[in-house]
Amino acid sequence: MKDNKNAKAMDFDTTYVPKKSNPVVKVVITIILIVWTIINLFPIYFMFTFSLKSNEEIFGTNVAGLPRQWLWSNYSRAMGTGNMGLYFVNSIIVTAASIMISLIAAMMATYAITRIKWRASKLTNAFFMLGLTIPIQASIVPVYVVLSRLHWLNRYSTLIIPYSAFALSMAILICTGFMVEIPYDLDEAARIDGCGLWRTFYQIIIPLMKPAYATIGIYSFLQCWNEFMFANVFISDSAHRTLPVGIQQLSGSYTTDWGPIGAALVIATFPTLIVYVVLCKRIQESFIAGAVKG
Amino acid sequence: MAEQVKVNKPSKQRRKRDLILGINIFLFLLPALFLFVSILIAPIVVSVYRSFQDWNGMSEGVFIGLKNYRKLFSNSVTLNFVVALKNSLMLAFFSVFVQLPMALGLALVLGRKPKGERFYLTVFFMPVLISTVVIGQLWLKIYNPDYGLLNSFLKLINLETWTHIWVSDPKTALGSIIVPTIWQYVGYHMLLMYAGVKGVSPDLREAAMLDGATAGQVDRYVVIPIIKPIIRVSVIFAVTGSLKAYDLVYILTGGGPQKLTEVPSTLLQEQLFLANKYGMGSAISVMLIILCFACSLLITAAFREKDK
Amino acid sequence: MKKRIVSVLLAGAMALSLAACGETAPAATTEAPAAEAPAAEAPAAEEKKEEPAPAVEEKKEEAPAEEAAADAGEALTLNMWCIATESDSNRHSYEAAIADMAANHPEITLNWEAFENQSYKTKIKAAVAADEMPDIFFTWSCAFLGDFVDAGKVYCLDDAYKAYASELPEVMMGNSTYGGKHYGVPLTMNIVGLFANMELLKQVGYDEIPGSYDEFIKCCDALKAANIIPFGCAGKETWCVTEYLESVIEKSVGADALNDIFLGRATWNNADVGAAVDEFQKLVNNGYFDPSGAGLTNDEVKANFMAGKYAFYMNGTWNCADFAANADFKDKVKVSEFPVINADKAKLGQLIGGPSDTLAVAASSPNAEKAADYTFELGKLICHYGYLDGCGLPAWTPYGDTSGINPLTQAVSEICAKADSYVLFGDTAMSADDATTYLSYVDQVYGCAVNGTQFIEGLASDIR
Repeated sequence: MKDNKNAKAMDFDTTYVPKKSNPVVKVVITIILIVWTIINLFPIYFMFTFSLKSNEEIFGTNVAGLPRQWLWSNYSRAMGTGNMGLYFVNSIIVTAASIMISLIAAMMATYAITRIKWRASKLTNAFFMLGLTIPIQASIVPVYVVLSRLHWLNRYSTLIIPYSAFALSMAILICTGFMVEIPYDLDEAARIDGCGLWRTFYQIIIPLMKPAYATIGIYSFLQCWNEFMFANVFISDSAHRTLPVGIQQLSGSYTTDWGPIGAALVIATFPTLIVYVVLCKRIQESFIAGAVKG
Repeated sequence: MAEQVKVNKPSKQRRKRDLILGINIFLFLLPALFLFVSILIAPIVVSVYRSFQDWNGMSEGVFIGLKNYRKLFSNSVTLNFVVALKNSLMLAFFSVFVQLPMALGLALVLGRKPKGERFYLTVFFMPVLISTVVIGQLWLKIYNPDYGLLNSFLKLINLETWTHIWVSDPKTALGSIIVPTIWQYVGYHMLLMYAGVKGVSPDLREAAMLDGATAGQVDRYVVIPIIKPIIRVSVIFAVTGSLKAYDLVYILTGGGPQKLTEVPSTLLQEQLFLANKYGMGSAISVMLIILCFACSLLITAAFREKDK
Repeated sequence: MKKRIVSVLLAGAMALSLAACGETAPAATTEAPAAEAPAAEAPAAEEKKEEPAPAVEEKKEEAPAEEAAADAGEALTLNMWCIATESDSNRHSYEAAIADMAANHPEITLNWEAFENQSYKTKIKAAVAADEMPDIFFTWSCAFLGDFVDAGKVYCLDDAYKAYASELPEVMMGNSTYGGKHYGVPLTMNIVGLFANMELLKQVGYDEIPGSYDEFIKCCDALKAANIIPFGCAGKETWCVTEYLESVIEKSVGADALNDIFLGRATWNNADVGAAVDEFQKLVNNGYFDPSGAGLTNDEVKANFMAGKYAFYMNGTWNCADFAANADFKDKVKVSEFPVINADKAKLGQLIGGPSDTLAVAASSPNAEKAADYTFELGKLICHYGYLDGCGLPAWTPYGDTSGINPLTQAVSEICAKADSYVLFGDTAMSADDATTYLSYVDQVYGCAVNGTQFIEGLASDIR
């Protein structure tokens, strides 16, 4: 049922189109949209083209045009010195694991908060919502001290655990939005059939929450993928370094040769953008669902 | 509301069942609580405690009362928290009054279903997906005083007098941080608001149109009031996001020139890791938490006030 | 194939040392190959890739090792952090030294990681705070290391030093000696040099770097008139400003006065210092500095200097290596001492600098004693190769053939040979807290937000 409603909101064709729209307004709007499109695409275009140029072209003769000579060698240099491939994989591992953990923890917590009646459930929810406003920087030192006492630095989990914790509040917020829409009759029916809380959770709630996964995944992704401060301080060996730190370090080593820097930036950025463009409809819908529910 | 487990008269059996229920609730909450308390709550408690100390992170801390907080607000050359605060409020101001209106405008326009709606939506969201470090590096290349795109362009169109050393000229440094920040997240807020706009039922629009409202009036009097809750969330995100800003400032200006573009988070990092003042760093993080929290409450209250 | 041979060799050598050698005396390897610097590069890279292999072997050998004898031959893994990243001019000397060490001590596996300078400061401090230090770590001497020593986190090197005292003069240990005890192994020492692009100077009629301050200013004016920017300085990294400012102050007030101030023996509130700061600001206001420099990092400024954008560049003499390695640039550049401004108080031979790059051993290391010996030996080799590469002057007594050293470093050697006194870089000499305060004020001075009087008064009240 609720899926239907959701889909309807998303359906681009059902929106009402004003019939007597002013042509001048229409032209102005189109111009604004095109200008903003250019402003959004140009930096990406600029990054891509300068990744293929020599310093000579970047520094004067051909600042913004297409490269005259396509220097793919910049890429091999960025890959060779920068280890960008490894950092990319690390980022994926850390982000994916963080999403998984925050998702599971959020699902369980939301179940306890929204579908079991007990006195402090509202308070507990409010408690978790505190996390939306706490800046991640505030906890960096105490967390670092604790993790290091436990000899827990320089592993993937060093980043995964804090990232999961920081993604948790948003995940619970979105989960709540989705979960309250599942009819409570289902729980009742399951209870009459003799299902305990855990089985109800496992057999009814988890399958019905599927649409929420993508949404939570996207919000968590945006939080974890770009994180720089924790990654910079908590990871000291290059084997577990993530992409943001890797790029920052690489930019330090090629301060004057812009081509390889551009190449590294492209390597760090384009895979995500390509996945996004391929899956854009689903990603946008999930994102939008989060906004509507949350 | 969930009605499946009601708590009635306390009998022995009841109590036992309550206990089991309690244990189950606890177990369901356990993973989230563990993460939340160990990574967020406990560190904050520790930070509050440390913020009353003079502690260099290595030896024992010395209790000094409110001295750290007092120093934060005494205008010193080394640690100008007031300037940092002013900068993040500037950032918040531009986010709320430039970025969000832009996002809202785009969302409303796209809500009218122009040609290429899907394309625009996709493109406008792209910067959100790019790592902030990449954006920072990219903009450094745009701002570079000698070879950067911006100055080269200004020279090309004979506006040589307009060229600046963008990131280190006191007049333009803060602006050069604000522009990429706004640029990156317009798409994020646009998509949030667009979701709201799309959620407005077509019947409502049609009814308003039949009453003779123009498209603009429909947006103003029908759509915006309906998506107000989403706008509220956007405002909260924009303001707390500005208070937390770190990456772009660190990469673009590093707080310079002459500490004019420091924000609380860069000061925090500097106090912790350059000056070894963990006590002072903790005081800054406590201030940050309080500020973020107060702003969220204020915004929520402001929106409630307006509704009345 | 090649790799496999290396690992077999390594394993074999390790087994040998385990079975046979009763005593690998720490000083046994003093005759390290001296003139192999360039050739050593390839093995160094090889060695690093090989690290996992010996580590595995080492586990296998652990049992017999315990039986054999619990002495120097035991397999051991040490961790080291440093700042010799791939773009750092010291990179090669580390690689070569570590390769030599691996050959001399096959029983010790060294895992090393290099970090970018600025983020390393964050990282090492956080690690010290949390007792998560590697066995051996790079540090700056004086106050930076002093904070760690005060906290009891650094292993005292007095015992290990005895074996090396003849090669490492006591005076070079001064900056890493606290309470009469030695805590650091110095590598190279560096001073601030005035580098000049002679090609540009020639264009305005100077064949030599002007020796007197008046001449120097005239030269700057001439350069400016010819549309050549006299100075390049990275405003984004405040330590680069101090390279200029400290030289101006020292050549105005004299080395002793400045030293007393840096080390906290005298107050900042010194009118001569204020006047020197005003003098520095005059240079800024006269437009001698590249205005774009304010928005650049040091690496960018350095590249600009090498590309011929500036006539002068004041920076550490570690740059000699990079300048000499650049075929186009090496013949154009010369190095000299900053001229004396006030001859009543200062004179030539008063330099800014000293041994600062240091290796130290963590007190928490389970193998601290062996790590200490290892560190001395490694430090000596890094110093040796670093000197050959031109990364600085040696803190250790040089050995082997040094005739191939680039002329720039030799010129620095000559300057140092005539040196009268040294003042260590201000931000190294002061504690972290004071150094950040000091750097903020320097930043303000460069931006002309405070003048000399405000500078001395502010520092006098904010420091201590």
